[in-house]
Amino acid sequence: MILLQLKSLNKTFNNFCALTNIDFSVSEGEIIGLVGPNGAGKTTLFNLICGRYKPSSGNILFKEIDITNLKPHAICRLGISRTFQSSRPFPHMSVLQNVMVGQVFGKGSSFHNRPKDRQAAIELLDIVGIVHKAGTPAGRLTLSEQRRLDLARALATRPKLLLLDEVAAGFSPVLVKQAIELINRVRKRGVTLLIIDHFLNLSLKVSDRLLALDHGEKIAEGSPHVVMRNPEVLRAYLGLRYQDENDER
Amino acid sequence: MNFLAEKNRRNGKKTHGIGLFLGFLLFFTLPLLVQSNHYILQVFTHALLLASLALAWNLLGASGSISLGHAAFFGAGAYGSALLGLDLGLSSWVTIPLAGLIATGLGLIMGLICLRLRGAYFALATLAFVEIPWVITDNWDAVTRGSLGLVGISGLPSFNIHGFRIDFGSGIIVSYYLVFAYFVILLGIVAVVFRSNIGLALQAIREEEVAAEAVGIHVNRYRMLSLLLSAFFTGVCGACYAHLVRYIEPGLVYGLHFSAVPMIFAICGGRFTILGPAVAAMVLYPMDQFVFHPLLPAGHEFLYGAVLILTVLFMPNGFWGKLRNAS
Repeated sequence: MILLQLKSLNKTFNNFCALTNIDFSVSEGEIIGLVGPNGAGKTTLFNLICGRYKPSSGNILFKEIDITNLKPHAICRLGISRTFQSSRPFPHMSVLQNVMVGQVFGKGSSFHNRPKDRQAAIELLDIVGIVHKAGTPAGRLTLSEQRRLDLARALATRPKLLLLDEVAAGFSPVLVKQAIELINRVRKRGVTLLIIDHFLNLSLKVSDRLLALDHGEKIAEGSPHVVMRNPEVLRAYLGLRYQDENDER
Repeated sequence: MNFLAEKNRRNGKKTHGIGLFLGFLLFFTLPLLVQSNHYILQVFTHALLLASLALAWNLLGASGSISLGHAAFFGAGAYGSALLGLDLGLSSWVTIPLAGLIATGLGLIMGLICLRLRGAYFALATLAFVEIPWVITDNWDAVTRGSLGLVGISGLPSFNIHGFRIDFGSGIIVSYYLVFAYFVILLGIVAVVFRSNIGLALQAIREEEVAAEAVGIHVNRYRMLSLLLSAFFTGVCGACYAHLVRYIEPGLVYGLHFSAVPMIFAICGGRFTILGPAVAAMVLYPMDQFVFHPLLPAGHEFLYGAVLILTVLFMPNGFWGKLRNAS
C-alpha cells in the first residue's frame, strides 16, 4: 500500500528553484534513503512533507489524504514525525520530559494517562539507549545522545512515517553500526522510514530504495546498487572528471 | 543514584509544602500581627494585588513572550468594572468577573494582532497596543467621562448571609482578606495550569518552538490560550484595584506603571516558576514602600530598575529560579 505520494512538487525561494517537479511514492514498510550532494534539496523536501514550508506547486498525499496545506502539528498528528539535522531538544527539560512531550501531544487519543505515558517514554529511551540519562537536562547531552533523544521524541508521537535528517552524520563506525541496529528496531515497530543520508554511510546498508537528488531535481531512484552506479549520481557526487576517467576505462 | 534523587525530590517537596503553609499562615494572621495598623495593611493589600498581577502576567510569560502591554487589560478591567457599577448599578460581584471578560476580549484583539510576532517585536507591539484602549477611554467622554477619571466607585463587594452582613468595603481588614483570597485562588490556578499539559506545551514552545510544532503542539492555539488567561486575570486585578482605590483615571490605570511592574516582579522572581513572581512582589513592594519611599520620596522606584538590572545580569532565571536550581 502506498503511504506517501509526492506529485510534481515544486519549491522556489525568490526565483531560486530548490525543488523541481519531484514525483515519488513510498510504500508502507519501506526504508528509503534520500541522497544527494550539499544543496540538492533533501532537507527542503523534508520541510515540505512536514508542513514547515508550503510547496510552490504540487501535492503531497499521506494515506490518500491531501496534506499539502496542513500545519506541522496537524501533520504530526496524522502520523508523520521527523528528526532535525541539528537536533532541537527542549534544553531545560529532562530527557524523559522531552519524550513525554511527544507522547502527550503526538498522534492518538486526546485522553492521556501520565504514568502510562511515562512508562512508554522510558521504554523508548531504552530502545535508543539513553535510559540512564532520563533525569539529565537535555541541553547537557552530547551530540550523539541528542540525536538519539530526537529520535525517541519523534517515535513517541507514534508515527507511521518517520523522517530522519542526517542521523548518522559525523558518527564513528561503531556509532554507525549502532544506528543501523536502531533503525532495524524502529522498522520492526511497523514504522516506514525516509532517511536523509548525505555521506551514504547508513542508507546503503539499510535502504530498500534510494532517491537521488541534485540541484533540486530527481536524478535517479531504485535499489541502492543500481542508483549508486548511475552516471548522473556519480557525476553529482564526484564531479565530471571522475566520470570521464571512468568512461575511458 | 536515581533512588537518591527521587528521595531528595520528595524532601524538597516537603520543605516546599511547609514553606507554603508558613507563608499562608503569616499572611492570614497579618492583620492580628500588625494590630490592624492601617498603613501597613494597606501596603500589604497592594502588595497582594501586585503579586496577583505578576502571577497573571506570568501566565503569558510562561509561553516565552514578554508583554509590555498588560496595562491595557488592567485599565480595561478597572474601567469596565467601575462603569458597569456606576452606570448600571450592578453589584461588584457581577462587575468584577465581567471586567475580566472585557479584558479577555481585548486580549483576543491583541493576540490576533501581536501573536504573529516573537521576542522584542512582540514586546514592542504590546507596548504600542496599550495606546488603543487608553486613547479610547481618554476621548470617549460620553461613556468613560474622559480624562477626568471616575470618582465614587463602590468599595469591594459585601456579603449578606442570612441577614448577617460582612461588608468588605467598609474596612481595610476585609479588603485585605478579599484580595488575599483572590491571590490564593489565582496562585492555585497558576499552579494547576503550569503542571498540566498546557504548562508542558508552553514550556516546549518557549524552549524550542520548531520542535514543539513538529511533535504535534498547536503553537498558535496555546500561545493565544495563555494570553487570554493572562488577560482575564489581569482584568480582574484591575477591577479589584478600581474598587479598592475607588478613584481611577486613564493615565493611572493605562500608564506604563501597571505594564512594567508585573514584568519586573516576574523577571526578578523567575519567569518560569510558579511562585517566583508572587514572592518578588511580596518582598519588593513592601521594601519600596517601607524603606525606599521614606528615604527617597521622589525617586523611590529606582529600586525596581536596579533590581531588574541586577537580576538580568546575575540571575537570568530570577532568584526563585536560582534557589530552586540550587536545592
